This record gives sequence, C-alpha cells and structure tokens, in this order.
Amino acid sequence: MTIESPVQVPESVESLDRPWVTIVWNDPVNLMTYVTYVFRSYFGHSREEAERLMLQVHHDGRAVVATGGREEMERHVEAMHDYGLWATVDKADA
Amino acid sequence: MIGFRLERDGTVSARFTGDEASTLRDLAGQLIVMLTDRASAGDPVDAVLAAAGIGGAETPPLDPALARLLPDAYRDDPEAASEHRRLTEHGLLQRKSDAARAVVASLSDGDGTVPVRLDPPAVQAWLRTLTDLRLAIAARLGIVEDGDPGRLEDDRDAAMHAVYQWLGAVQGMLLEVLDG
Repeated sequence: MTIESPVQVPESVESLDRPWVTIVWNDPVNLMTYVTYVFRSYFGHSREEAERLMLQVHHDGRAVVATGGREEMERHVEAMHDYGLWATVDKADA
Repeated sequence: MIGFRLERDGTVSARFTGDEASTLRDLAGQLIVMLTDRASAGDPVDAVLAAAGIGGAETPPLDPALARLLPDAYRDDPEAASEHRRLTEHGLLQRKSDAARAVVASLSDGDGTVPVRLDPPAVQAWLRTLTDLRLAIAARLGIVEDGDPGRLEDDRDAAMHAVYQWLGAVQGMLLEVLDG
C-alpha cells in the first residue's frame, strides 16, 4: 500500500511570477487630497479606487498599491518618492 | 494670495503678494541648496553616469529632512536599499531640484502683486516642491507621526509652523482647482 505524497499546490500562480509589491506608508504630512491625486494621476485609478487606497494608507498605516515584477515595483517606488510619498518595495507575501 | 484659477487654455493662474512670493522663492532656493549639496557630497561617481542621473550614495542622509525626501526603497533589507539608492538617488535629487527651480522661475521678482501662470509641467513642479518643502519643514519640527504637534519653543518654530500651514493651504487650493 502506498500513500501518495501530497502535491504542493501553490496558493496562486500569480504569486510565482509576480512576487513583489509596492507599499505606500502613512505619513503625517501629505494631504489626503494629494495622496488621492497621486494615485489617480500616476496609477490611473478611478477616484473611488484612489480614495479607497488613500483611506487604507491613512487608517491601516500602509497599503499595497501595486503588485508585479521587482524592477517594475522599484520604478513605482522611485516615482512615489518623486511625489514625496513614502513608499517601499517588498515581497508579496511579507 | 488670490486663489488658483483654471484658465481656458489649461494653465492655472494665481496672484501672490510680494512677501508670499519671496518666501516661496527663498524656501525653494534653500531646498535646491540642500539637494545639490547632497548630490555633490557622495562618493565621486562616474561623471557620465551622474550626468545621466544614475548613481548616488549608498547610505541614507543623516539630516532627517533630507532622509525624508530620500527614503530607503527597502524597509527590512539594508543591502537592497543601499543598492537601489546607489543607482537612483542622483536622478531623484536632480528631478527634485529641477522642480524647485521651475517654481522659482514661475515667481517673478516684485514688490507688488506677483501674478503666476502655470502650464501643466509647472503645476507638477509646484505640487512636488510644495510637498518636499512641507516634508522638510515637518522633519525639522519633529512632526513624524499622525498627531505630532511639532516642536514649538520659540518664534522661529512658530514661523516655521505658520509657513508649513500656509504651504499646505496653497497645495490644497491647487489640488482643488485640478480636481474641478
């Protein structure tokens, strides 16, 4: 009698090829309207989505604003720093 | 100051008092000095790369104001943060000081009312420089977390608080016009 060894199924395929995220952190300086403006104009989000992310940053202290390849996330972080937002790159599962 | 107005040609106009305009010019000038000092302070980098906006220091600035303008791109990975800073910091410094220069250029020198007319790139420069100035002042006043009142010990601190509030009001008005 053999017991089949369980096959490890990845939680999602996406996590394999898109393992990085851009995180924007809360700060006491930037206006809520400015953060919303940046999310709309840089990421092209709708007003509703931009405000949802802005409020998540405000209330939770941070929000994941993009997921993808490492280089792409580094470009987003650099752009956020251009705008004066506090952003970092991290692994998606962190 | 007389608030921002969106013109038919897509530019944004406003009027500042001579004092307001000179305050903003002075602050933007200080920001440029701070940024260019940082750019020239790091290890000597290949001149060609530096001119292309590539390269930079490997460690964050000690000055809390500069550190807030140039945050680490990785929170828990000093090596990756250092590598990213080395590759990107010069470009970031360059773009920030270019924006501050554009703000200075849009404010003519004058005793009376200073009219300002901003095309879309100038609007971007204003939004970013107003932000950078507020970040730098907040760091100087010790405003680090939500609810921090900031240091208020003397007239100089009080003046910085007033400027900080004013810059926020200007940015708020500009955003309101863009949103309209």
